[in-house]
Amino acid sequence: MAVEYDPALIGRVFETTDPVPVTAEMVETFCSAIGETNPLHIDDAAARSGPYGALTAPPSFAVTFRNGRHFFEHVPRFGKQGFDAGKDVEFCAPIRPGDAIVLSSHVKEIYEKTGRSGSMVFVIVRSTLKNQDGEVVAHVDHRFMNRT
Amino acid sequence: MSTILDLHSHSEASEDSRAPLEAYLNWLKLRHTERPLDGIVLTEHRQFNRDADYRALEDKFGILVLKASEVETDYGHVLVFGVTDEMTRRFDFANVRIPAQELIDEVARMGGVAIPCHPGRPNVGLCEHYEKKPPLENVVAVEVLNGGSRKGEDERSETLARSYGYGTIGGSDSHLVSLIGLCGTRFDAEVRTIDDLVCELRGGVYEPVDFRPPRKVVPHAVAVEVK
Repeated sequence: MAVEYDPALIGRVFETTDPVPVTAEMVETFCSAIGETNPLHIDDAAARSGPYGALTAPPSFAVTFRNGRHFFEHVPRFGKQGFDAGKDVEFCAPIRPGDAIVLSSHVKEIYEKTGRSGSMVFVIVRSTLKNQDGEVVAHVDHRFMNRT
Repeated sequence: MSTILDLHSHSEASEDSRAPLEAYLNWLKLRHTERPLDGIVLTEHRQFNRDADYRALEDKFGILVLKASEVETDYGHVLVFGVTDEMTRRFDFANVRIPAQELIDEVARMGGVAIPCHPGRPNVGLCEHYEKKPPLENVVAVEVLNGGSRKGEDERSETLARSYGYGTIGGSDSHLVSLIGLCGTRFDAEVRTIDDLVCELRGGVYEPVDFRPPRKVVPHAVAVEVK
């Protein structure tokens, strides 16, 4: 093993949030903030005649859902400092106003690598987003880099 | 018949690349005039996928795809060509502190070849380690052209290779589709398989080739006094 950690951490869901209601206003505000122009997300009439039959949130809306307040208590740290090294999002189904989204999170992967600036340990936390029907709408992989 | 291969590239199988192999091959096919490569070698970080089979894509695009690995050692990063099950049992490729001398010697004994890459790069290149530790033995070649190099890094690599009499190779170190094939290695002989490649790297005639467009010279800004 390249880096030492408790292997039981991997894959174990450590947190599930309460449902977060999605409102039309939240979607509208998000679209406005990112300059979204796709009518499927901003024009009710156009969206009704579109493939989803109603307004949907832009795919990147998936990253606006926050993990719970105890999130970082469960994410292992290595070294003394680190930062958010980006997110990968897999979109599975549209998020719509009226949905209630639940996040459940687990540590997906831990690995070490070396680069120009030194040694690093990456911790990948995967949050799975489900709607009120239990349908997975997205997987968001949060990539945390720890400087060792 | 000579062969030109990009000996260092990363597909989306590497955690820091987003480049699908098919997109690499399509890019090379479309840009064959500027980057006349016969094939590429996927050198995924700290892993080797023995079972990956790229023959369908090779046939579709007419471009050779070979598999190798980029591992991390106590002397920096090293490309391993001709990976076997015996090698992956002997070394944990995920370990970022593989003893480089053992790797070079054991890979050679097992029929492959291990080549330090981007030696001029800080921290993960041979040059910096040679300043603190004795030089490695049995190094066949080093990568002196790397598509991801910053200013001065390739020059340091070239100086090292000349000082120690190492052979020299080139590779794009591509993590993005548009960067594939920017650097490569031209072999005098035909290379069609990983065994051919190992054989040529050990005893053939080859040289790095650079397909990067010349850098644009940006004139220094001149301060203008605002009245």
